[in-house]
Amino acid sequence: MSLRPYLTAFGLQWKIGLRYRIAVIAGLVAQMWFGAVTLMAYASVYHAAPDVQAPLSLRQAMTYTWIQQSLFTLLPLGCLPAIGDAAKTGAIVYDLLRPVDMWNWWLSSSLARLLGNAVPRAVLLSCVAGPLAMLVGLGAWSLAPPASLLSAILALISITLGALLSATIVMWWNILTARTLSPLGSYAVGTPLAVLLSGMLLPLPLYPDWIRPFLLAQPFAGITDIPIRIYLGTPIPGGVATGLSLQMFWVVSLTLLGRLWMRQTVNRLEVQGA
Amino acid sequence: MSQSPSRTLSAIGLYRRMAGASIVAQLRYPGTFAIQAIGNFVTTLLGFFGIWSLFHRFGSIAGWDIGTVAVLYGLVNVAFAVAETLGRGFEVFGGEYVRTGSFDRLLLRPRSTLLLLLGHELRLRPIGRFLQGAFVLIAGLWLAPHVQWSALLVLPSAIAGGAAMFLGVLIGQAALCFITVEGLEVVNVLTYGGVEAGQYPLTMFGRWLRRFITFVLPLAAVCYYPALFSLNHPDPLGMPTWIGSLSPLGGFAFLGVMVLVWHRAVAGYVSSGS
Repeated sequence: MSLRPYLTAFGLQWKIGLRYRIAVIAGLVAQMWFGAVTLMAYASVYHAAPDVQAPLSLRQAMTYTWIQQSLFTLLPLGCLPAIGDAAKTGAIVYDLLRPVDMWNWWLSSSLARLLGNAVPRAVLLSCVAGPLAMLVGLGAWSLAPPASLLSAILALISITLGALLSATIVMWWNILTARTLSPLGSYAVGTPLAVLLSGMLLPLPLYPDWIRPFLLAQPFAGITDIPIRIYLGTPIPGGVATGLSLQMFWVVSLTLLGRLWMRQTVNRLEVQGA
Repeated sequence: MSQSPSRTLSAIGLYRRMAGASIVAQLRYPGTFAIQAIGNFVTTLLGFFGIWSLFHRFGSIAGWDIGTVAVLYGLVNVAFAVAETLGRGFEVFGGEYVRTGSFDRLLLRPRSTLLLLLGHELRLRPIGRFLQGAFVLIAGLWLAPHVQWSALLVLPSAIAGGAAMFLGVLIGQAALCFITVEGLEVVNVLTYGGVEAGQYPLTMFGRWLRRFITFVLPLAAVCYYPALFSLNHPDPLGMPTWIGSLSPLGGFAFLGVMVLVWHRAVAGYVSSGS
């Protein structure tokens, strides 16, 4: 079995993501705005309650927010747009006819789409929020460097797993789209889930204590929350190994279940159009 | 010259017909509508869960009680939901009217372009955000200690002022499309970003942001000051409390300025079509 078709699919979607430079700048402005509003809100909440021992220090909460903002487009907000269009027009049958493994074909496209969107934005925003903010004297508000060299390396491994996990969840949205023949449902379900459960809305460690173990164990934590905790060096119950194995567990189990669901969906797929 | 009503519809009659047709069209797919409205409700409810969690952990939101924060949150969300319901035509203006050239057809009709664009769609989906915001607003009034009877008068006018302000932003965004053709995501900073900033008390932000959301975008005038007035809460920044009873007018003033901008932009319109 050759890898080439999957690499081609990856390359195509990666280039589409890099194509829209204005959109990248527009996204940067929006993310800086949301970052600034959130940071000021956290700062004044922390300063008003100096005695509270929060699981994250203010500086860590700020760094968490910046990384989370810069990785916004890595979240599985909905299905791959190309598959949404294909489901609406009926062009999805072409994908069924290809002599490739459909799961891997769609997965490589989805992964490339996420990375093509997220990588340029993340690099740009981390330059602005990190070194540039330090230079203009906003050091207290900037993105902190990683806790140590080791945690930087482990965080890099973890975010790679996180990207793969996100693409796997996108696959579930893709199948949902193929099943309902409309991308709208996947966005209606995917966006709120991803925004809340990944820690985009509020860092997962800051939620009430009773709910935190559940939040760490659910799959969306593996996309950005676990990598950020490793980057910051904040303790994860059971250590870094738990974090990485949670991520791997979710990638494997969501892939196995997803493939099963996909086979069932493809078998009974009714396509629109003649 | 008054024309006989049987031959020409009044502006209100015309709008009512367009809105009616739009509602019927949206209810054609009741399943999709229900999923989207529920998704909208859940997304915004989760947003408040994030704020509540911060409150739970730190004991206050920068010294503010949960009731006041809930009133602010409810006000800004209800106002934005109303603007989203009415202003869909302006939101999609760039892609659906300017780029395709179909704005030319609107210009041929003997009616105000603003009225015709308002009639583009009366969107039902934001009802989720509306109900949730109203729910949080009422809960906030229940929890806050010193609610004034005059709140019954001031809060509706604050909601109207806020809706006018957000509608103004959408009209301004559409006017910008005459230059940019495609809609720009950056404007989301004023809509979704405005909702984000409006749900926190003004004191939590740095001076530049406070000035921006008071004098450029009159967000504080339609949220913060009316809320303080209704709850009889003195302003830590030193403004007299009565100002909140008049400040919602700022939202209408902003709308007025944006309508002027719109008319100037339409006067300079050059079609992109053939």
